[in-house]
Amino acid sequence: MSNHNISLDVNGCLVEASVEPRQSLADFLRENLALTGTHLGCEHGICGACTVFINGVPARSCIARAVSCEGDEIKTIEGFVDDPWMEAIREKFSSEHALQCGFCTPGMLVTAYDITKRIPDADEARIRVELAGNLCRCTGYKGIVNAIKGVLKDQKDVS
Amino acid sequence: MIAKNRGTGVGESVPRKEDRRFLNGSGQFVGDIALSHMEDVAFIRSPFAHGLINNIEIPDSLRHSVYCAKDLIDTKSIRAVSNLKGFKPSDQPLLALEKVRYVGELIAACLGATRAEAEDKVDEIYADIDPLPVIVDMLDARKPDAPLIHEDWGDNIFLETRMSARQPEPLLSAPIKVNRKLRMSRQCMAPLEGRGVVAQWDNRLEQLTVYTSTQIPHIVRSGLSECLGLDESSIRVISPDVGGGFGYKGLLLPEEVIVCWLALKRGNPVRWLEDRREALTAAANAREHYYDITLCANQEGEVLSLDAQVHVDAGAYSAYPFTACLEAAQVASILPGPYNIPNYNCKTWSVATNKCGILPYRGVARTGVCYALESMLDLVARSVGKEPFEIRLLNLVKPDQMPFNNITNKHFDSGDYPACLRKAVAAIDLDSVRKQQKDAGATGPMIGVGVSIYNEQAAHGTTVYSGWGIPMIPGYEQAFARFSPDGELEIRVGIQCHGQGTETSLAQIAHEVLGLDIASIKIVHGDTALSPYSTGTWGSRVIVMAGGAVARACEELSSRLCKIGAHLMQSKVSDTYIENGMVKTPARQISIQEVSQTWYRRPQDLPNDVDPGGLEVTAGYKMERDDGTFSYAAHAVVVSIDPELGNVDLMKYVIVEDGGKLINPMIVDGQVCGGAAQGIGTALYEEMPFDENGQPMASTLAEYILPGATEVPDIEVQHMETPSPYSKFGQKGIGEGGAIGSVAAIANAVNDALSPLGVEITETPITPRRILETIAMAKQDGTPGS
Ligand code: FES
Ligand code: FES
Repeated sequence: MSNHNISLDVNGCLVEASVEPRQSLADFLRENLALTGTHLGCEHGICGACTVFINGVPARSCIARAVSCEGDEIKTIEGFVDDPWMEAIREKFSSEHALQCGFCTPGMLVTAYDITKRIPDADEARIRVELAGNLCRCTGYKGIVNAIKGVLKDQKDVS
Repeated sequence: MIAKNRGTGVGESVPRKEDRRFLNGSGQFVGDIALSHMEDVAFIRSPFAHGLINNIEIPDSLRHSVYCAKDLIDTKSIRAVSNLKGFKPSDQPLLALEKVRYVGELIAACLGATRAEAEDKVDEIYADIDPLPVIVDMLDARKPDAPLIHEDWGDNIFLETRMSARQPEPLLSAPIKVNRKLRMSRQCMAPLEGRGVVAQWDNRLEQLTVYTSTQIPHIVRSGLSECLGLDESSIRVISPDVGGGFGYKGLLLPEEVIVCWLALKRGNPVRWLEDRREALTAAANAREHYYDITLCANQEGEVLSLDAQVHVDAGAYSAYPFTACLEAAQVASILPGPYNIPNYNCKTWSVATNKCGILPYRGVARTGVCYALESMLDLVARSVGKEPFEIRLLNLVKPDQMPFNNITNKHFDSGDYPACLRKAVAAIDLDSVRKQQKDAGATGPMIGVGVSIYNEQAAHGTTVYSGWGIPMIPGYEQAFARFSPDGELEIRVGIQCHGQGTETSLAQIAHEVLGLDIASIKIVHGDTALSPYSTGTWGSRVIVMAGGAVARACEELSSRLCKIGAHLMQSKVSDTYIENGMVKTPARQISIQEVSQTWYRRPQDLPNDVDPGGLEVTAGYKMERDDGTFSYAAHAVVVSIDPELGNVDLMKYVIVEDGGKLINPMIVDGQVCGGAAQGIGTALYEEMPFDENGQPMASTLAEYILPGATEVPDIEVQHMETPSPYSKFGQKGIGEGGAIGSVAAIANAVNDALSPLGVEITETPITPRRILETIAMAKQDGTPGS
């Protein structure tokens, strides 16, 4: 199988690599770049554990191919180190007990970031619908929903 | 706003110490471990449920990277035996040699530089197998002409048990007698992270280092040692961060053994990461029960007798260490539930079929048992014209009877079961639901309400497990604790934490004893080289057993600190005590750090009669009675069924739970809600069906439906706190509870909603298809409502 050269932006760094066309973006991030914060729960696009931002939109990196990300901007959980918005979400995840084993957490945080930015007036029902693409086997979602609600509320209180 | 100054000891909802690494994406799971020169493994698995292997065709080019059964010299198959009388052991080959017994059984292992490469090789190998007749259903397996899974057995029964306890006067007749046949489908435990193993031989230590996603590292080490013929001291099992378990990771896998063997053989690190299809279909499933159950009662609804014949589909092989019979044996011992039942008779069969084995999934047999018994109590209620909760109140063990020895000799330690149920009924507002039902028209959604109550034996030890005689019998649980020279406390335990927040709750216990800031307390777990032996994390045992051991170790350290501290402060040991991380006498105080520094760095200042063991101890703990704590809970739920689509909507869900003294109430709520979400999956969505050839039909998460955020409602959790008289702080094991009561409560609510039609559902999960078929049955019969 012939490799392809790609260049893309991962967490603000330019990455140039030669990849097999069949390699998923998730495997590329994990195996080639050692960005293991992106988790694989199913590798067939259902669980959402592998959610990352591709050009600012949450996407499943297990069913995206690295080769098709030429020129794209990828942001993984590791790319949010100094992001105050993500930090606010993280703190709420901890105080609302929105994680247990932590395996779904990076994907959940990326989705939560998207929800809180995109739908500032989301109510509980909407939050649950928006979370439908991220499975958590541990928490029963209560803490996750409450954390997102909490972030939105704090945001309202500030503005 | 002034931050509330929260305590961090026992009973406080302390935020978790372990959260940060997961929130940063820096948790370390098996799949995140990359070692240089590591090879990946992909397995060739049986495509047939039952068959004889003629030949495995391996192209010459792959001779050096593919291994079959005949290559595995000096290894032993996995043999998980129970000493229960009549148990028939199964030998689970690491790789199948002559015969395959389920779809997914291992046939050969392929190595590649990457997983993709290894998988490419799998495609080049052909296993020539002659299919044999297949046993898919456990009831068929008992028919006289059934094909045999293990020829030498003569039948397909791992174990048959009988339990009978009766009043002296025989029960001649009963005004109320209800019988049902109830089925709970096969299920997958489905933690979000699958299994995975990385093994590497360490030449310097002459030790095999095995990273594996397991709940039971020490047990896995014993199992590996038995199968590989290596000394246990030559094996180190590390269970790093583990992405959920629920029982699925309480199993020694043939894959674990093979990956270790390959690492020894190849001399380089070897890795296998389970994919989702393997996780759903190959390693192990859970929960498949069939009940033929009869309840007799008097006109009031007091239960007079309970009779049951129960089958459990245990699959082809007995799983190590819990065996193929734990599930059914547990059914027999706990079927009477939290009730006072005078006559009891139960027969069980652990049946072998051409499916993968089963494991104890969160709640183990209790989920099925609770579903069966609670369904029957609703039928009694309907027969005598009372509310289901009233029937339960009549039969529940009363608080003034505690502690109570029930008919199967379970010792219920404490609690007020009726109060728990009443609270749940009040919270769900039963009267208003009944009114709503009356007012509802003939069309539109059908409303139903259901309750269930159960108790849960947890942290049960030697007495219980020695009776079952399985490969693992828990004894004393130990904890190692030591102060470092800078006064920080390190605690090592043999359990494994995979989401239960134990790194925090055990630190809270240590804080309770020593008063140290929990930031200065580090909990190390999941590593056989670093921790005392433990049977691991299962059976809701950690907070009671490891918690007790941590407290004991800290108490011992406390007395050693006092001895040195008293000397340093020129005071009597009897006047010295520990408070808030300080060693104190009535007049003076010094810090624990000061005492630690004295032991390690200024030994010249120590008293002459100082304990030479210093500031590190290993302490062992057992409860005063080791047959367990009994937490309990009532679930109450209101459902609305769409009669056109068959969807069940959970409109209100309340749980009243008593876990004794709660060490960290926030964590407990998380366990309760998470467990209930799994119970909702069992009740409504999750099913692993097989076709007539034994092919597993749900091999992706598109077919195997896990509940998402829109399927799980906002569950209301209320607490009662009746301490256990036997555990260190009165705490009770509670980790599994949420998953036990949901199925029964939801099934009862659905049947309550369907009752005007005169039909009921007797099988889980209650999928839209089953609902619509049941409603159609009512229409055919011309029963009211059609
Ligand atoms: S791993 Fe990508 S959706 Fe599950
Ligand atoms: S915290 Fe374990 S899967 Fe979500």
